[in-house]
Amino acid sequence: MNLYIEWGRPKLKFLIIARKEIIDITRDRRTIIMMIVVPLFLIPVLIGTITKISFSQAKKASEKHLKVRFFGQEFAPDLFQAFINMDKVTMLNQIPEDSVESYIQNEYLDAAIYIDSDYQSQIDQNGQAKINIHFKGTDSFGITKDRINGVLKGFENQIVTKRMNRLNLKPEVVKAYNLTYKDIASKQEKFGKIAGGWFPYVFIIFGFMGAMYPAIDLGAGEKERGTLETILSSPASRLDIVLGKFLVVMLAAVLTAFIALAGMAIGIQRIPEIPPEILVIINEVLSPKTIGLIMTLVLPVAAFFSAVLLGLSIYAKSFKEAQSIMAPLNIVIIFPAVIGTLPGIELNTITALIPVLNVSLASKDIIAGVMDPFLMTEVYVSLFGLAGLAIFWCVKWFNRESTIFRS
Amino acid sequence: MIQVQNLSKDFSLNRKQRKELGDEYKNTKTLRAVDNISFECQPGRIFGLLGPNGAGKTTTLRMVATMLKPTSGSITVSGFDSVSQGQNVREQIGFMTGQTALYDRLTPTEIVKYIADLHGMEKSAFQKRKDHLFQILDMHSFADRRISRLSTGMKQKTSIARTIIHDPQVMIFDEPTAGLDVMTSRAIMDLIRSCREEGKTVIFSTHRMGEVNQVCDDISIIYNGRLFYNNTLDQFKAEMTQATFEDEFIYRVGEA
Repeated sequence: MNLYIEWGRPKLKFLIIARKEIIDITRDRRTIIMMIVVPLFLIPVLIGTITKISFSQAKKASEKHLKVRFFGQEFAPDLFQAFINMDKVTMLNQIPEDSVESYIQNEYLDAAIYIDSDYQSQIDQNGQAKINIHFKGTDSFGITKDRINGVLKGFENQIVTKRMNRLNLKPEVVKAYNLTYKDIASKQEKFGKIAGGWFPYVFIIFGFMGAMYPAIDLGAGEKERGTLETILSSPASRLDIVLGKFLVVMLAAVLTAFIALAGMAIGIQRIPEIPPEILVIINEVLSPKTIGLIMTLVLPVAAFFSAVLLGLSIYAKSFKEAQSIMAPLNIVIIFPAVIGTLPGIELNTITALIPVLNVSLASKDIIAGVMDPFLMTEVYVSLFGLAGLAIFWCVKWFNRESTIFRS
Repeated sequence: MIQVQNLSKDFSLNRKQRKELGDEYKNTKTLRAVDNISFECQPGRIFGLLGPNGAGKTTTLRMVATMLKPTSGSITVSGFDSVSQGQNVREQIGFMTGQTALYDRLTPTEIVKYIADLHGMEKSAFQKRKDHLFQILDMHSFADRRISRLSTGMKQKTSIARTIIHDPQVMIFDEPTAGLDVMTSRAIMDLIRSCREEGKTVIFSTHRMGEVNQVCDDISIIYNGRLFYNNTLDQFKAEMTQATFEDEFIYRVGEA
């Protein structure tokens, strides 16, 4: 049974158009892949793979066997011994001094430590002993520098303690403050501020990409197939046509954004490396209330994307031209979305007005659970205003003969 | 019935288009595609709008179908004004071009239903009309197969069914046989003839004189946007000074 044929006829013409377009695009493999397969399957796989790789890299780096060349061991035998006693280290004492740089550069050696000849006298006279450390700063996770610093700091603390005892001084002499920090930000707030930016980033990008193919198909595709004249000569008005098409493009954008969110939720659940307490926070963050609030931001931004994409698609002469017109828009969308993920960029009276960026920042606040009613109102007014303007432009654009019959 | 009175259409030109058109259009902002033309198409007769490519045929037909707005002049279709009563006009017409103009991912039944829905046809009326058309066009065997899997002939039949599903009183054919093979062209010509038998008003644009001779009752010749001949086909034949229709057409266009 074909439901399209069996169902009754909607009263409003734009709904007849929308219904036909839904049937049409859901049979398009490209749209389905972009709308469902990519966000629902690719995101979890990507999240899983990236996390797995970064966790394994971090583990590998922490377990790395350091190769160290120590110059001047005769001036600081104790310190040299401390390095020998260090875990997972090999002291390579045969490397000549003039080859050290090239060895480090080629990663045969991780670090070289140079001790000055007056080391012991400086230590004995409560002076500062000079130690030079050469390393390659591009190694993974800065692990070499951290581990060498760890040994040196430990050794330095021992020297300082000895000096204080000798001088009969209490530790308070060099440590005037006793600092106690109490972080009153909730875990959810911290998570929202740090990772919250990535959630809107993903659904903004996917919402845009999900709207792109249907928009091209429903605008330029109609021109290319020659079916536009059929529709234009039907009793449907231009407003009916553009509204019907707009609704479908917007539906695709919202659905793709929603599926992208679901994909992320699934992806995160499947990462075994995430500590359970963080998973609890993530599950709290991805509650129906939070998602519902985020979707209220997605709706106007999807309307804005859809109207702009449909307008551009109607202007294009062919599928190919529409694609080349829309490709640069990806950058325009990605740029503010990425800015929203940066730490320190907050929702304020100015950023609340900038489209896409405001969605990103407002979502971050929603996830963190710290919403300013005034700024949120500003975001909604800005988004709905912009969506309204984009729809108005799209309808106007569709009514222009030079757009519809551009050749 | 279609009445066209002093119809003109100007298109605005952008800088690139002015450059492409050459020095003649260097300082003009518009191009007159249709220039003050008048004609009438009667029910039960086939009106042929003849002219070479770029003469203004498609622009004229698009104005009749309300897709384009006239710059000046008026068009009435079955008594409805094409500008102020555009929707009423569109309810009366069936528009067909040489392109099959179908949706690849839909089936013939779905496409025909879509157009019927836009014309406000009730389910029972649609079913009856669809069965009748699919019967006479022999479409039942592929009615539920997607367009992308159909042959050119099957597509053309679907295109015909889509154009006449709502039983329009006015039929507009814009070079309907352009690029089609002989068999498919014949099916279209048969459709045009059957429209006349049913008492419909038919306007048919072409530059193939053989087709004109086969079906037209009245003809107009348009060139460079101007109509320079408007009479019955019989009168045209009587006035011929050249050996064939084609020669006569070329001769007259050259004289215009």
